[in-house]
This record gives sequence, C-alpha cells and structure tokens, in this order.
Amino acid sequence: MRPLVLSLLLAVPLSAGTIDVRVQDAHGAAVKDAVVYAVPEGRALPLAKRTAVMDQKNRMFIPHVLVIQTGTSVRFPNSDDIRHHVYSFSPAKPFQLPLYKGTPASPVLFDKPGVVTLGCNIHDQMNAFIIVVDTPYFDRTGGDGHVALRDIEPGRYVVHVWYPDMRDEPRPGNVTISGSERADLSFVIHAHGHP
Amino acid sequence: MAIRSFQTKFLILVIAGLVLLQAGTLVSVHYAGQRTLHRSVDQELRVGARVLERVLETRARQLEDSLRVLALDFAFREAIASADAPTITSVLANHGSRIGADAVVLIGLDGTVTAETANDGLIGKPFPFAALLRTAEDRGEASATVSFRGRPAQVVVVPVLAPRTIAWVCARFEIGERVLTDVKQLTALDVSIWSQPDGAQAEVISTLPSEDRTDLLAKLRGGGAPDMLHLHSGLYMSQLQPLRTGDGSKIESLLQRSVEEARKPFDTLELQIFGLSFIMLLLSVIVAIFFARGVTRPLRTLADAAGQIERGDYSTPVRVTQSDEIGHLGIALNQMRAAIAAREDQIIHQATHDSLTGLPNRTLFFDRLSQSIGESRRSRSAVGMIMMDVDRFKEINDTLGHHFGDQLLIEIGRRLEQTLRQTDTVARLGGDEFAIKFTAPNATFAEEVAQRVSTAFDSPFNLGDVSVDVNSSMGIALFPDHADDADTLMKRADIAMYDAKKNHSGIAIYEAGRDEHSLRRLALMMELRQAIARDELELHFQPKIDVPSEHVAHVEALVRWKHAKHGVMRPDEFIPLAEQSGKIGMITKWVLRKAITQCAQWQRNGVDLAVAVNLSALDLLDAELPTLISGLLAETGLPPSRVVLEITESAIMKDAAHALKVLRDLKKRGVSLAIDDFGTGYSSLAHLKRLPVDELKIDKSFVQNLTESAADDLVIVRSTIELGHNMGLIVIAEGVETQESWAILKRLGCDMAQGYYMSAPLPAEKFAEWFATSPWGSVDKMQNGSPVSLAPQSGERSQG
Repeated sequence: MRPLVLSLLLAVPLSAGTIDVRVQDAHGAAVKDAVVYAVPEGRALPLAKRTAVMDQKNRMFIPHVLVIQTGTSVRFPNSDDIRHHVYSFSPAKPFQLPLYKGTPASPVLFDKPGVVTLGCNIHDQMNAFIIVVDTPYFDRTGGDGHVALRDIEPGRYVVHVWYPDMRDEPRPGNVTISGSERADLSFVIHAHGHP
Repeated sequence: MAIRSFQTKFLILVIAGLVLLQAGTLVSVHYAGQRTLHRSVDQELRVGARVLERVLETRARQLEDSLRVLALDFAFREAIASADAPTITSVLANHGSRIGADAVVLIGLDGTVTAETANDGLIGKPFPFAALLRTAEDRGEASATVSFRGRPAQVVVVPVLAPRTIAWVCARFEIGERVLTDVKQLTALDVSIWSQPDGAQAEVISTLPSEDRTDLLAKLRGGGAPDMLHLHSGLYMSQLQPLRTGDGSKIESLLQRSVEEARKPFDTLELQIFGLSFIMLLLSVIVAIFFARGVTRPLRTLADAAGQIERGDYSTPVRVTQSDEIGHLGIALNQMRAAIAAREDQIIHQATHDSLTGLPNRTLFFDRLSQSIGESRRSRSAVGMIMMDVDRFKEINDTLGHHFGDQLLIEIGRRLEQTLRQTDTVARLGGDEFAIKFTAPNATFAEEVAQRVSTAFDSPFNLGDVSVDVNSSMGIALFPDHADDADTLMKRADIAMYDAKKNHSGIAIYEAGRDEHSLRRLALMMELRQAIARDELELHFQPKIDVPSEHVAHVEALVRWKHAKHGVMRPDEFIPLAEQSGKIGMITKWVLRKAITQCAQWQRNGVDLAVAVNLSALDLLDAELPTLISGLLAETGLPPSRVVLEITESAIMKDAAHALKVLRDLKKRGVSLAIDDFGTGYSSLAHLKRLPVDELKIDKSFVQNLTESAADDLVIVRSTIELGHNMGLIVIAEGVETQESWAILKRLGCDMAQGYYMSAPLPAEKFAEWFATSPWGSVDKMQNGSPVSLAPQSGERSQG
C-alpha cells in the first residue's frame, strides 16, 4: 500500500494541503494501523478504476485490512493448496466465491462505500476487512498513532477513522483545505478489550 | 402349669436361647440396616444433587455446542444477514427446532432483541439476561439456568459470526421431565424442580407420579420440604438443593428416594436372615430333641425301672448299656432292686410267719383262708377250718417254764404239719392257739380231719428229760355251711372251740345260732356301760325269813336291769357280762350305796332289817372295797352289823389267799359275811374253817326240789345244816318255793329261809307294802302306826 500512496502524492500539485491525524485509545496510547480517510464534501470524485488483491495464504486473508476507493475491483487469489469459500454478508458488498482454487476468473467490484467483512465458510477463523471509501485520501496510522494525509486538494472534507476492534466509530472530523496549509485532527478510539 | 419333663425343659431352654439370640440378631440387623439405609440414601441424595447439577451443566455444554454449530450454518448466517424479519424469524424457528429449542431469539449487538420465535413480546426490548451477553462476549458463548416466566429453563447464547459478530442468538430450553428422567435413570432418585418467583405459585416439574406431585405441591405450599416426606405413594427421604441460576432467580431442586424402594434390598436381606434363622432354629430343635432324647430315654428307662420296684416287681433288672453316670445309676438301681427284694422277702416272711414255730401267722392264715374261700365259692366246694388250743398250757408254762412252753409249741406245730396234706395250712395264731385250714366236702370229713389232727397229741411230748401228756380243744367251722367269709368262719371256729373246751369233748363243730347269742352278749356288754348313767338299774329286795319266828329278819338286795329292748333282766343274765367287761365293780358299788342307803332309811323309820349284798370274785380283788363300805356306813349311820356281804364259794376259791385277806378286813369292820351257793364248789372243809364267815347259804338247786321223798337233796340239806351249825354258822336256804320245803327246813332246824314261797324280790315300795300286809311281816308292825315299821329287835332276834 505504501508505494500506492507514494505515487498518489507525486501526482498532486505542490500547493496541496495536508491533514494530520492522531489516533489514540481511551488511555491515550497511540493506536497503530487505524484507517483514516477524508471524504470530500459536496462533490463526488471520479471512481477509481483500479484493482486490488486480497490473497489467502496459510488460511489467512492477506492483508487483514484492505482499504480501497469505491469502484476498485479486488481479486481473491487462493495461494493455499486447499479450497476456500470466501463470503461477505456486509451490506456494502455481499458476495461469495464458492469453493475454489487458484484465482477466480473475475475480480469482485466494490462499488459502494462501507466496511466489508470477509470470511471463509469452511475456515471460521479466517477473516478480513475491505474498507471501501469514496475518496482517494486514506492511509493508516503508524506506530506513533500518527498519520498525515498529504496533497489534498482544497475543499471541505469529513475525516473518518476506522479500526477493526473499535466499539463505535468516533465522530468524524470536519476539515476545510484552502491551500497548502496543514490541518490537525485527533481521534479517540474505544476498542473492544479496552473499555 | 408346671413343666415336668426334662426334655421339654431342655427344648424350651434351647428354643428360648435361640429365639432370643436370633431375635437380637434380627433386631440389630434391622437397625443396622435402617442406619445404613439412611446413610446410603443420604449419600445417594447428595450424589444425586451433584449428578443433577452435572447433567444440567453437560446439557448446557451440549446445547451451547449445538447452538454454536447452528449459528455457524452458512444458510443460517445468510438468512440472518438478509435483514428480512420474516426470513430471520423463520430461520430461527427452523434451526431452533433442529436442536430442540423451546424458543430462539436474535439479539442485536446493542443488546436489543431483534427477532423471536415464541410470542414472548421481547422484540425491541433489551435482552432479559444481559449478563449472559457479556459472558458470551468474553467467552464466545454462554449458558445459564434461569427462570423464565416461572418455568426453569436453560438458555444458551452464541454470537452470529459473519465472520465477525453481527448478532447474538439465544436459545431457550425448558428443563422438562425428560431431563429429570435422565437424572432418575442415572441415580434412581426422583427429581423435582420448581422455580419460585416471588408470589407466584410454583409449578413443579417432577419424575414423581402425579398423585405424589399433588401431595408435594400441597406440602410445599405448607412451607418447605423436610427430609422425610409422606407422599401419596409412601415415605420419601428428600434433599432440597437450590440450583445455580444465571439470572438471580431462585430454582429449587428436590431429590427424593422412596424409602420403601430403598429398603427393598434390606427387606429381602432381613427376610433371608429370618428364613435362615428359622431353618437354624428348626435344625437346632431337631438336634436338641435328639440330644434330649439321648439323655431322657435312659432316664425314663431308669424311672420305669424304679416304678416297677415301687410296684413291687423285682423280677426285671434294668438293662445297662451305657458306661456313663446313667449307666452307674442303672447298676446302682439293680443292686438296690436286689437288696429291696431280699429285704422285702424277709419282711414279708416275718410279717406272715410266726417267729417261734416258723408256721404262718394269723395274717397269712387269714389271707389263705380268704383265698380258699374265694376259690371254693367259684368251684362250689367247701373249706373247713379248725381252731385249736392246748389245754392247760398256762399251767404247763407256769410249771415247767417258758422255754419248755416254747419248745412244746414248736413240737406241736411240727406234729400238726405231719398230720396234714400239703394243701392244708397250719398256722399259729398266738399263744397256744393254732389254726388249720383244709378243703372238706362235708362236716363228717371235717371231723375226720379233726380226729386225725388230734392224733398229734396221742403220744406224750418228750422234751429234754421231761415227758408231758398234752390235750387240745378243737372247734370246727365250715364254709359255706357256717360262714360266708373268712372272718366269720374264724369267729365261729373259735366259738366251737370254746364249746369243746366247756364240754371237755376235745372236738366240737359250730352250731348254728351260737354266734347270735354271743353277739347279744357283746351288745349288752356295750350297753351295760351306760346302764347306770341312764338309771336303768333298779334294786329289788327279797326277804329272808327267820324260821323259828316265821318273821322277816334280812333282805337280800338283788339288782335288776330294766333294759329298753330286752325288758327286765335278772342278774344271772348280765352280771357275768359285767364281770367279763370289768363293769362289775361299778355295779357292786352302785348296789352297795343303794342297799345301804335304803336300809338306813328303814332304820330311821323304825324298821330294823339287815341287808345282804352279793359280791363278785372280782370285787374281792378291789382293795378299796372295805374302805368304801366303811365310808357308806359312816355316811348313812347304818350299823355294820346290819350289812351282810354274800360271796360265792367259787369266787373265794379263785384267789383264796387274797380273798381271805379281804374277808378278814371286812370282818374287822363289823359287817357279816355269807358264803353263797354253798355246795356247788369244791371248797374243802379245812379251807372253809379258816374263812371268817358268819352264814352259809345252801344252793337253791338243793332246795328247790326238796321233798320228803327226795332223799339225796334231803341228805345234803340236812348235812349242810348240821355242818354249818357245828361250825357255828347261821344256815340259810334259798329257793324255797313250796310249803313242803318250808316245813322240811323248819323241821331240820334251818335258821333262815328265802324264796318265792315267802316272797319274790320286790322293789322298795312294793316290799314296804308286802312288809305291812304279809303275815311274814313284823309282829309289831302296827306299833308306831306306820305300815312299814318293824320292831327294832326283830333283826337281833334273827341274828341270834
């Protein structure tokens, strides 16, 4: 994912702004790998015609969390020598790929934003998330719970945070980018297991 | 009732002991059983409670597993994910029925019920068992026992994973009878459970029969469940155990064991023990009977043997088969038997035989006689007996000594035996009395037997250097001619023997009627005792006439017995009886008192008569008599010279020396003495000369028939008168009955005469009458105008 983000950053003009987000839990500890994304308000961005991959290896979905822009197709190659039955009951994209081996012929198009929970019907412990967002501006916090969304075009944005184990989604933050300024936002996540 | 048999006692002892022992065993087994029963049921109940808990837990795990599997079903999850309410409800019902859930609800992640299969009205409300959700969040599943609407149930909560939790599904399983039946099958306990929401009436789920359930409900409403419960079908031991619940509600479980059922094995055991005890008892009794028999049979044999000895049967000895104490007892009994037999033989011999002669005694003779009479009665033959005594045996004994007498008796016995047949019996009855029993067809034969017996005395008895001739008197009596039984036969033979002795005939046969006379005598003897007391005796007086003056001088007092049955009896009829029975003294004294008193009375009336009283030979032996007479004279004031005592010649001769002494004593006291019945005895003149007598009375047998032609009597009377006068005695003739004899006596110079010619004996008043009117009365009888008075000097004249 990192290379993808980097290429996006290179494509935007230099005058673009940056949204700096800090995510911490109820104890003030930094939350790593929290998904942060900024959805532009009042205007729709063109759907991405991209392809992403959700691999299955060693009876695990890899990656565990995949963030994609709406309109992205995801391929589900099976790298194991056993069959998997990938499904999703998530309203954003219910689908299933009945028992298969190798790579299915067609990738799955995610054309609605939302969280899609993936599972394997014959391996209950396998799960993964595909976060479908209506924006190209998304990233995940680093080890310090900090992330900077860069090269953001001017405009108003609603900034969301998602974390797999969070109990409730924190209230989204509103940010307006007019130039190359830098906006700072902070979120507190109440995760399961950290009441 | 006293228990007498050793065997019974022994058996009772054994049985009582065994019964006590076994009763004790049974009782202790019963109580031990009871305790064990209680302990084991208690244990069972505790185990049962744990089993119930474990069963519920296991069921919860199974339900969790089932529900989890169900919740992972793809179609189920797909349906849940469809978000279509009817679809969701139907999939819940469908899948819920697969695992037998009573109700299934779907709970959203926010804890609100979103769908339900039962119409519980929970949709949109918070899930009632929120704690379970939290547990399920932590553990991935949760289950609990809860009370739902008053009914105990198990609820299970698992997440619906897609694959992350998208909802919770909860299934409710009511705890029904099936679960409890499982517990019952495992534990054999009845299980009941009920939840008790406050104020609600408990509904009891139970394995109990419905009647018991009703009872139990009633008991529960009554408050609590005790350890022991009496329900419809019996007594139950119970344990109340609250169940752990997940919702804080109160669910009670009650485990019960029917005491009756639990006791069954104990009852069986007790029955078996009882049966065994009974068999043991039976066996013991049989053994005891055998043992007791072993002891009592020989004892009984000994007792029987002792009984035989007691009955006098000494012939069968005890068979001794044992060598123990009983055997020794048997031997001792045999020795005792022999000793008793020997001694009894000896005693019987002594009791039935005369020790001197060795002949049978009176007892044995009587027995044999009775036996022979019995036999004769049957065979219609005759039995004779001879009663015999030795004449003058006392004299022989006195003269030659007792030893000689004994030897003589032995020899007589021996000779008698020789004269008889084997079947006859000779017995010595006592003293010199022998008896012989023989069988006889008739009286003649009996006399022949007696003759043969008398030959025993034909030759003299030579004993040592003395030889004596001995005679015997024999009386014969026959059965059935003279008597019907042995006793009578012996008496009659005795009477016959006295007849023989009296007649000096040697042998006499009993004459019919002799015995009746004897009986009358015997009766009179008895009655004589009371004659004086009954005032039956009366004194009569017969005058003695002074021959020269032809006037009465003396009177003889003669006693009469006015017997109630036999009329007036003369002295010669009863005086011998009085002498035999020893009553003569009494009578003499009575006569003396009466006669002297009467005579004194006449004296006071001026009638001077002397009174003569007869004395018996026995009276002469009474040393008191002289004193008595003196006493009477002093008492009445009658001069001694007015009393004449008449004594028969034979009376004086019986014990001449003593008689002489008494007569002298009497003579000294001034009374006159007369010899009565002179001429019948054998008194010698020399003897007569020594007697201090004043008068001689010629026996009436010489006087009664005295006529001028009766030469013998005339000679005797004349000689006697002459003899008397020569000896200076007054001679009196009695039995004067005719004028002729009176004339002869007067001619012969007899001093006094007495008899019917002058007067019969008269009672006192009659005599007074006679005295007043008879020419024999006093010449001066009118002297003092009294008809009974007499000239005082008339007696003196007669004396002269």
